[in-house]
Amino acid sequence: MIRNFFIILIIAGLAGVFVSLFWEFGASDTLTPLATHYANNGAAEVGAPNLVTSIVVTYRGLDTLGEVTILFLVAAIISFFLKVEKKGQKMAPPRVSSEIILTASKLLVPVVLVLGIYVFVNGHLTPGGGFQGGAIIATAFVLLLMANPRFELNHRIIAAVESVSGMAFVLVGVLGILLAGGFLDNKILPLGHFGKLFSAGAIPIIYSLVGLKVGSELSNILSNFQDVQKDEL
Amino acid sequence: METIALITSFVLILIGLYGILSQKNILKMIVGFSLFDTGLHVLIVTVGYIRGGTAPILDQVTGTSNVSDKIVDPIPQALVLTAIVIGLGVTALMLAYALKMYQEKQSLDIRDFKELKW
Amino acid sequence: MDFISPINVVAVSLGAAFFMGLLGKKAQTVSYILLLGALLFNTIVSGQWLYGLATNIIDAQQVYTAGFRPPFSINLLMGLDEAVITTLVNIVGLLGAIYMASGLHKKGSGSQVVYLVLIMSLNVIVLSRDLFNIFVFLEVGSIATAGLIIMQKGINAVSAGFKYMLATGIIASIMLIGVIFIYRFTGTLNLDFVMQSHPVLKQGALISSFLILMAILLELKPFPANGWALDVYESAHPGISAMLSSAVATANLFVLYKFTGMAGESLMYYISLIGLVTFVGSNLLGINQTNARRMLGYSSIGQIGLLVAIIGLVPHSNANFKLIFIGILTGHYFAKAGLFWIAGIVKAQNIKEWSVLRNRPVLLFLFLTFVLALTGFPPFPSFWGKWQLVMGLSQQGQIAAVIAILVGSFFEVVYLLRWAGYSIKLEPGKLPEVKLSQFIPVILFGLGIYATGYFVSQATNFGDTINYIPLVVVAILLVVDFLPAYIKNSLSILATGWFAYLLIPGQDTLKLVFTVIFLVGGILTLIPGFHVKGKRAGFYPSAMLMFGGLALLIEAENMLQFFFAWEIMTLGSYFLIIRGKESMVHAFSYMLFSVGGAYLILLGFGMVSVGNTGLSLNLLSQIKFYPVLAMALLAVGFMTKTASLGLHIWLPGAHGEAESDVSPMVSAILLKAGVFGLVLLMLAAGGEYNNYQGLFYTLGWIGALTALVGNLGAVFQEDAKRLLAYSSIGQLGYILFAFSIMSQLGWLTGFTYTINHFMFKAILFLSVGGIVMRLGTHNMYEMGGLIKKMPFSFIAVLIGIITLAGIPPLSGFSGKWLFYNAVIMKGWYFQGAIIFFAGTIAFLYCFKLIYSIFLGQLKDNHRNVKELPFWYLLPQYILILGIMVFSAKPDLILKPLGTALAAAFPSNPLIWEGTKALSQLGYWDATTIMIVIGTMFVILLIWLMLMSRKAQNVKQFNIVYAGERPERPELTHVSHNIYAGYNKALGFLVAPGITGFWNYATNLVESIGNFTRRIYSGNGQSYAIHLVSYIVVVFIIYISSI
Repeated sequence: MIRNFFIILIIAGLAGVFVSLFWEFGASDTLTPLATHYANNGAAEVGAPNLVTSIVVTYRGLDTLGEVTILFLVAAIISFFLKVEKKGQKMAPPRVSSEIILTASKLLVPVVLVLGIYVFVNGHLTPGGGFQGGAIIATAFVLLLMANPRFELNHRIIAAVESVSGMAFVLVGVLGILLAGGFLDNKILPLGHFGKLFSAGAIPIIYSLVGLKVGSELSNILSNFQDVQKDEL
Repeated sequence: METIALITSFVLILIGLYGILSQKNILKMIVGFSLFDTGLHVLIVTVGYIRGGTAPILDQVTGTSNVSDKIVDPIPQALVLTAIVIGLGVTALMLAYALKMYQEKQSLDIRDFKELKW
Repeated sequence: MDFISPINVVAVSLGAAFFMGLLGKKAQTVSYILLLGALLFNTIVSGQWLYGLATNIIDAQQVYTAGFRPPFSINLLMGLDEAVITTLVNIVGLLGAIYMASGLHKKGSGSQVVYLVLIMSLNVIVLSRDLFNIFVFLEVGSIATAGLIIMQKGINAVSAGFKYMLATGIIASIMLIGVIFIYRFTGTLNLDFVMQSHPVLKQGALISSFLILMAILLELKPFPANGWALDVYESAHPGISAMLSSAVATANLFVLYKFTGMAGESLMYYISLIGLVTFVGSNLLGINQTNARRMLGYSSIGQIGLLVAIIGLVPHSNANFKLIFIGILTGHYFAKAGLFWIAGIVKAQNIKEWSVLRNRPVLLFLFLTFVLALTGFPPFPSFWGKWQLVMGLSQQGQIAAVIAILVGSFFEVVYLLRWAGYSIKLEPGKLPEVKLSQFIPVILFGLGIYATGYFVSQATNFGDTINYIPLVVVAILLVVDFLPAYIKNSLSILATGWFAYLLIPGQDTLKLVFTVIFLVGGILTLIPGFHVKGKRAGFYPSAMLMFGGLALLIEAENMLQFFFAWEIMTLGSYFLIIRGKESMVHAFSYMLFSVGGAYLILLGFGMVSVGNTGLSLNLLSQIKFYPVLAMALLAVGFMTKTASLGLHIWLPGAHGEAESDVSPMVSAILLKAGVFGLVLLMLAAGGEYNNYQGLFYTLGWIGALTALVGNLGAVFQEDAKRLLAYSSIGQLGYILFAFSIMSQLGWLTGFTYTINHFMFKAILFLSVGGIVMRLGTHNMYEMGGLIKKMPFSFIAVLIGIITLAGIPPLSGFSGKWLFYNAVIMKGWYFQGAIIFFAGTIAFLYCFKLIYSIFLGQLKDNHRNVKELPFWYLLPQYILILGIMVFSAKPDLILKPLGTALAAAFPSNPLIWEGTKALSQLGYWDATTIMIVIGTMFVILLIWLMLMSRKAQNVKQFNIVYAGERPERPELTHVSHNIYAGYNKALGFLVAPGITGFWNYATNLVESIGNFTRRIYSGNGQSYAIHLVSYIVVVFIIYISSI
């Protein structure tokens, strides 16, 4: 009781911090100079209509590399953390999924995969990108799992996709140092026609790599959780 | 508009934090974290809001000149993407921890994990 | 030279990490080699920049990414600071990977990836200039850490890891809120642009930067919101704990340093406060720990707190800031990594089991190296850091901060040195097998800490005035420690002789007295070492550390040299004292008093330097800042070594339990180091006409009371060596009293006592110590009748006690004669009376000593005892010769001393007419007295011998117990409890009131610590609550101040 009261007290204290920030905060009508620069020169400098993408992939590319690294790390940690020695334990009989899910998954998985690819390939043009696309791809895998709890992903292939796309990302980054203005510079390829699929330099490539990587990493994480739970059944 | 969003985000953050600090079940604490994160993400997007601005994607609406007068700030939107992914990673790892802790002790009560102290 | 861009650290590490993900289970070795390769590459990159920037081959360089300039894109900065920090991070990363070879192999490439990414992320947070980027890579780092924690199997690591995730999750969110609002209020995320926009001027930006700084501070584990970190230190793989404590903390500290530019001055004040509270609090709680790794965790948090405090306290513009920071940082970095690594080798958790290290002397040596480095002893980098820090803060007038730092350091010394004592003294168990891959990193870090220490010392103001030759001698002796004792003994005597040869010619008269005591005394007390068979491992390095320190003390011209010498000497004597069989506890208490004293001296020196330039010891005569207090601090500091009343309780045990030839070293010689300090101090105070009359009056009283209590204590001892030890306390009380008189006669008295005590106490301890060694007991009631077995020792002891008791014709009487003159002329009658009374008591214990050992009945089991070995008798008889000369011709020494003292003490000098000394009260001719008494002695002797021809020899058991039946064996010895009557009358004076006081103080500290550490309940959620409350509380305090 006292504990709860105390918790509420400190939450209130933190609310005080927020209130003081709230008073200072006024919505603005103009962009910050930094954002103005991106808005007005982004198209010319990076060549991607989606300004968020040009910031994520190019201007702040190093953050994105860190982001990808985090997912990669989590996947790696979970795989060695939850690793279970399979000693032919008795497995409970699989839960049988309903006909609807089975049919729907067969129907939807290819569509979802295509949608995911579409989203990351077009990341520089329309809302979306590698992370979003990757997440969509992973949902296809979730669907498969729901339909068939025994479903096993080929870990080798997943790991290969994950690693190769990661290395390729780094390689593109290094090419930026060698061929253009710095690490992760997208101008190693011509900027091309503004608004076209093959434009904005290396952005589509990077975002595709990110999409593949994120998709495979999320699937990997899910499959590791699934592996553990199989033994629990 | 931004006031509502801002208040919403703060309230979400505080509710999430209350969950983290008061729930005894580890899974519920993780849910608290998710709420906390969501509040943060709303906050970040709110910070980038410009009155009357549109999405920061150059299309027919914005044209390609004087874009800065028409769009909302793209930077927080880029940041929120990163923040979401980080939050996802942290949540996944926490869940893995929860799983392992449950396997070790058949309990998800945070008070049962006090071997180390003082 | 081509410099590899630091961005390649990211590229290569991540490239390698992604590639390692591709390798399956069969390619563990390939992936491990890849890991080492990448880490080596990182080390080379940062090392190359460090070299280039330090030698000015290249300027600091910005690395731009994405082909745009900041603030549009993220940039990295490689400057000298960054190069130093990343090099430190990468080196421990590489060596840590070697150390954890088997663990990383077992867990597979996944763990190796995580490890590599952790090191990479640390590099980025150090180099990056972008706030959000730093946030991202901090998160990368904490996730990697959370992954590495669970490399260790078991529920402990898992639940510690979860607590860690809870805490870092909250911290990261707080930071993110700060970052996003900083963007809102300053319009940029680039650190340099944020600073240019003066966030301090805007309230909102101020709160945002407060949140960011708070987050990074919380990452640095401020007390008490740090329970989560302690669990991690305790339960993670020791290699990981080492990494967290050295690499991660180093990088995070640097981030804090980078961020402070955003904070206003007022926030700096709070940062320093947070750091100091952490330093003191964490070390206080460390005292109650018995688990080695958890204790190291407390120590880590404490040290990090100190570094945080330095960032907040010392203005970054201060020329010495970086040196202070690097000194203390590297001390912590090397030592903590080394200790955690050793913890992994030892495996035992309880600190009492660490004596297993004795199976591997090299490991024990490294362990002690790290422990001493943490406690800030020379020649380690932290010593220089702490010295500069205390001096710098004092000059800023931050005395309160200095006191906090010294108190915290003292707590740390308590638990670290207790641990060291256990490892040296307790019975060793079996050491687990030591893998080479674990051993190499520890050795390299051991070497690293010495090298860094030297480097830092050379960069310190006046650090280049330090003479390292004595330490080189110690190092040589350490290397040849496998040789038999007699070779090392000869080497040590040669070295001491060499020091003496360098120091004695042309030495100032007053210092000459001490030089002779320290170094000639050193040679004499080393001689008995020839009796020892075998190797006597570790003895000679310790002895030479002490004698080297003493030599340096003489040589010291500035305060730094003096303090350096003081610490070296303390260290050496600690290792000597702890060698005794039962000495663990006593050496520990000796060390606590010594360190406490040293800190008072340091504080005193700090106060002396206020308002003065330079560090010369001459500044002691022109103290500007609270001169009386500074003087008093210094005096009390020195009095811990002279064991004055209140500070004396360590002495009986330390001297009594020490090895037979160590007792004379520490008693006859070492105590004089404190006297030397007092002499310097009192001279600097202005001699006769000083402004500190009140202080010296007090010291006089302390001296008198010390004399009384020490002598009384000696009377009631049954242990021969403790009797001598108590007598030392008393004698040093006389000395303190005599010098405090502050007149020429007083000082001549002081010197006479000093010289006498040196000679007779060396004789007595050598002979009594030798007898104890021969008989195997300290108890006098188990001795007796040894006069016929050991006639030479008997004569030596006889001469010794005659001198001690001040009986004519020996030089003790000269002291007494001078003493009464001085007291009467000064008019200190009360104190003089106490001393007189104490002198009478001295007769009692002198009689008891010689009677119980040599006279009376010979014990059955002593029938085959032999005379003391030649090597024990030789120095005694040399000293007896010295006493004879000094007794017959005191003018040889006192006359030049008088001349030398005349400058400081001009009035009422002692006038010499040949061998006759004239004071205003009378005269005394030592030579004549010697002749007269000598003649009387010879006549009486002859007469007695003639008389005793008729005497009848009584058989040993021809005795009657006068109707009493002895119930216990000791009661058969007549001198057992011989002074029971006096005990009834005066015993209350020696009741252990002072020991009680110190025990009370100790218990108080321990129970405060014990109470406070209950907040670490083990509940991860409570730790999260602590974190949030910490933020709220600091925020409220902070916001109400602006």
